[in-house]
Amino acid sequence: MLPLLTTIVFLPLLGAVITALLPKERADLPRMVALVVSLLDLALVAWLVLRFDVAGGLQFIERAEWIPEAGIQYFLGVDGIALPLLFLSALLLPISILASWKVSERPGFYFTMILLLAVGMNGVFVALDFVLFYVFWELVLVPMYFLIAVWGGPRREYAAIKFFLYTLFGSVFMLVGILALYLHPAGGTFDMTALAGAGFPAGFQWWVFAAFFLGFAVKVPVFPFHTWLPDAHVEAPTAGSVLLAGILLKMGTYGFVRVSLPMLPEAAESWAWFVALLGVISIVYGAAVAFAQTDLKKLVAYSSVSHMGFVMLGIASATPEGLNGAVAIMFAHGVITGMLFLLVGMVYERTHTRMVAEISGLSKQVPVAAGMLAFASFASLGLPGLAGFVGEFLSLVGAWRSELVAPGYVIVAAVGVLLAAAYMLWMVQRCVLGVPSKAVEGISDLNRLEVGILIPLVVITVVMGVYWSSILRYVDPAVNALLASMGAV
Amino acid sequence: MLSGYWHFVPEVLVVGGALVALFGEFMPGRGRGAAYTAAALAGLAALLVTFGGTGGPMVFGQVEPDGIARFARAGVAGLTAVWALWVAGRGMPDERRRDAVALAMFAAAGGMLLCMAEDLIVMYIALELSTMPAYVLMGYRRGDVSGLEGALKYFLLAMLTSIVMLYGLSFLYGISGYTAFADLTLEGSGVLGLVAVLLTLVGLLAKMSAAPFHYWAPDAYAGAMPESVAFVSTVPKVAGIAVMARLLGAIAPEMPELVTVVALASAASMLLGNLAALPQSDLRRLMAYSGVAHTGYLLMALAPGTNAGYTAAVFYAVAYAVPSMAVMLVAAEEGTGLTDLAQLAARRPWLAWSTVVWLLSLIGIPPLVGFFGKLFLFGAAVDGELWVLVILGILTSVVSAGYYFRIVREMFFGEVVASQPASPVAEPRASAVALVLLLLATIAVGVGASPLLAGLGALLG
Repeated sequence: MLPLLTTIVFLPLLGAVITALLPKERADLPRMVALVVSLLDLALVAWLVLRFDVAGGLQFIERAEWIPEAGIQYFLGVDGIALPLLFLSALLLPISILASWKVSERPGFYFTMILLLAVGMNGVFVALDFVLFYVFWELVLVPMYFLIAVWGGPRREYAAIKFFLYTLFGSVFMLVGILALYLHPAGGTFDMTALAGAGFPAGFQWWVFAAFFLGFAVKVPVFPFHTWLPDAHVEAPTAGSVLLAGILLKMGTYGFVRVSLPMLPEAAESWAWFVALLGVISIVYGAAVAFAQTDLKKLVAYSSVSHMGFVMLGIASATPEGLNGAVAIMFAHGVITGMLFLLVGMVYERTHTRMVAEISGLSKQVPVAAGMLAFASFASLGLPGLAGFVGEFLSLVGAWRSELVAPGYVIVAAVGVLLAAAYMLWMVQRCVLGVPSKAVEGISDLNRLEVGILIPLVVITVVMGVYWSSILRYVDPAVNALLASMGAV
Repeated sequence: MLSGYWHFVPEVLVVGGALVALFGEFMPGRGRGAAYTAAALAGLAALLVTFGGTGGPMVFGQVEPDGIARFARAGVAGLTAVWALWVAGRGMPDERRRDAVALAMFAAAGGMLLCMAEDLIVMYIALELSTMPAYVLMGYRRGDVSGLEGALKYFLLAMLTSIVMLYGLSFLYGISGYTAFADLTLEGSGVLGLVAVLLTLVGLLAKMSAAPFHYWAPDAYAGAMPESVAFVSTVPKVAGIAVMARLLGAIAPEMPELVTVVALASAASMLLGNLAALPQSDLRRLMAYSGVAHTGYLLMALAPGTNAGYTAAVFYAVAYAVPSMAVMLVAAEEGTGLTDLAQLAARRPWLAWSTVVWLLSLIGIPPLVGFFGKLFLFGAAVDGELWVLVILGILTSVVSAGYYFRIVREMFFGEVVASQPASPVAEPRASAVALVLLLLATIAVGVGASPLLAGLGALLG
């Protein structure tokens, strides 16, 4: 029997090696290899989802000594919290590869970087040893740096190094947190399952929480650590934006759920007000700034800051509803924002502009694209019946019920929902409706490939929005187990 | 007393290599053959050290080939072998090549002896033996005025600090009445003891270009040939850290003030080195300041005065030396200006990607050797609760990524200003093998971790 998780994580690495070694003359080969590898990977993840036992806790465990002298293991496993994110990662990979089908500049290099990125993305969600977790966490930096710096927009080099340095800054603090847990007498291991509920003293937890907070908050990103995000998104190629928003941001929030809550429960309680406060500020600030954006990509980028604020609010609440909601937003945001970035990219390819002011009347000129854009916008603003609503509703309910989060936060966050509706609808009104502008005139509608890329995302958005338990049946047991281990706040 | 003398066989081999290189004219293949022979002998010495086992105090307690010594000696000999192999393939006109190799081999022999010194006098002699040849290597181009100026600066400052150190050593001897590390008793020696130790440390810190004694390094490096810098900036540092670990291990328990002293030097080195490296446009200067910064990281592990810290420092000294030597050798092949590397990714993609790996290792990105090194360093500092150093180390690591990525940027996106004629390459295969060895060492220790790190653990233990 093949070790399933190892195969899922390292299959893209094999693909990356192959694409790197392919002869440069055959420019069409790398994308084929990348697509085949990513579809295989998706099939394996789908197979894993089917065989996943909802009540089974941590499963598909693979465990081996890696560096026994330092207590470092090769330890993989998935639970109901990691599963949706692993699936999301495997889903967005072939989609972003298809979205890059026309990359003509150094395709071998490009697809090598995408596949290398996938190793880190898959790995973070299944690693259960801290050093391994850190390895995967850092592994995404280099390919994303090159994706932005080589195939990005005009200010790509600045954006790429800014992304690299900001995230490195956070992750080094995380490393110190990891070391502090390891060196503490109550810890003494890099095993993340053993560290959960290890019962560290409260004062110690407080400091370590701060270190991890810096590491995760930069990645999420939470206000005021978000400034790298708009730059990175605007300059990144479409596939880079999709993976950045879809997966890389989730690594930060996943860290809070996987590390901060179970390992440092008391600190999570005493820090909750702060996490919630920054979450609410992110919600309102992201939404307000999104309002002011003239560039579609920046608008979507700031809307991400706002949406991730809801995740933080749900995490701070430490209630079953809040955490279910947090994971649900992570998944839904990956799907919906992926759609939005894809559509912005598709519109940009045709109109050569992303300026809201220069795009109007899409519905008359390109009805399919316009319909998709409107649909994705509705999903993003949290329309009931679509995926975005599930998590935002639950995290607000969780925050309201929680004793850790003041009701005032929830009220302000609810205003953020209104703002989201407003900026998204305003964007739809200006871009989709009206008379076709000069840039829009004469452009062609989406082709079959582009529709094919979007359809799975549309289907998932509807299914999840209508049938909540399609995702929550996996998440809920894991969340309850997590809260039980924290001593049920 | 004579039973353990086979422990010196590696040193004898390295000195033999030096002699072969000195008289290489009479060998077939002239200078190149001598360089190959020297490389082989140094490599053999590294293997002998690695598999030779450890021993207790020898020669009336003047040297002790223990775990730390074994690891550091293997590092010194191995790095010297790789360097000589590279020199055999490239660099330096023929008759000068064997001189350079001979000098490096003498320095390596001194360094290896330094790694196991357990006595003030042995330490001093070995330190001088390992740095004297370096002066010559740094001023190797006779016609180059700026190179000679840099070498002279290096020579004068090194001499000055050596004398200061010797002064300190005389006090240490005067206070305790012994020269063996193990017999140094500083308890109750008060201010005099502290001053004596400080004077002694000045010599060691200056040799390792730790702030505030780092001023010689950028000028000396910038005037020297990059292949000389590749050797001088890395190999002596490994030996220096090893002996410093030994010395501190002997006296730190009796002198708690030393934590502060070493921590201050560490903080100053991290800050000065990293910040000064940022604006540099010459790779030698950049790597000189990066060397200062890395000395700061090494001192961070020495500061708490724990065994874990000492082993972490010695491990990281090698983990730093491998990629650092590699980057300087790349500079030797491609030019020392930052802009000389422009579009290296297009010209020599394998070399460019290897350089990316080395730079990432210097930043401390997993799963490369530099990451495990930093993991142990930070582990030692966290364990010693030196929080200010930890925070400084974190912040400056991020700063260091800034300047290392200037090199990456240049290699991938830089604009070629002036295409310079490629230097004639005699046997590129030898130097390529040397670089591949350095690349493997950078990657394999991390990725193939278990057996390798287990071996390293056993080596150090």
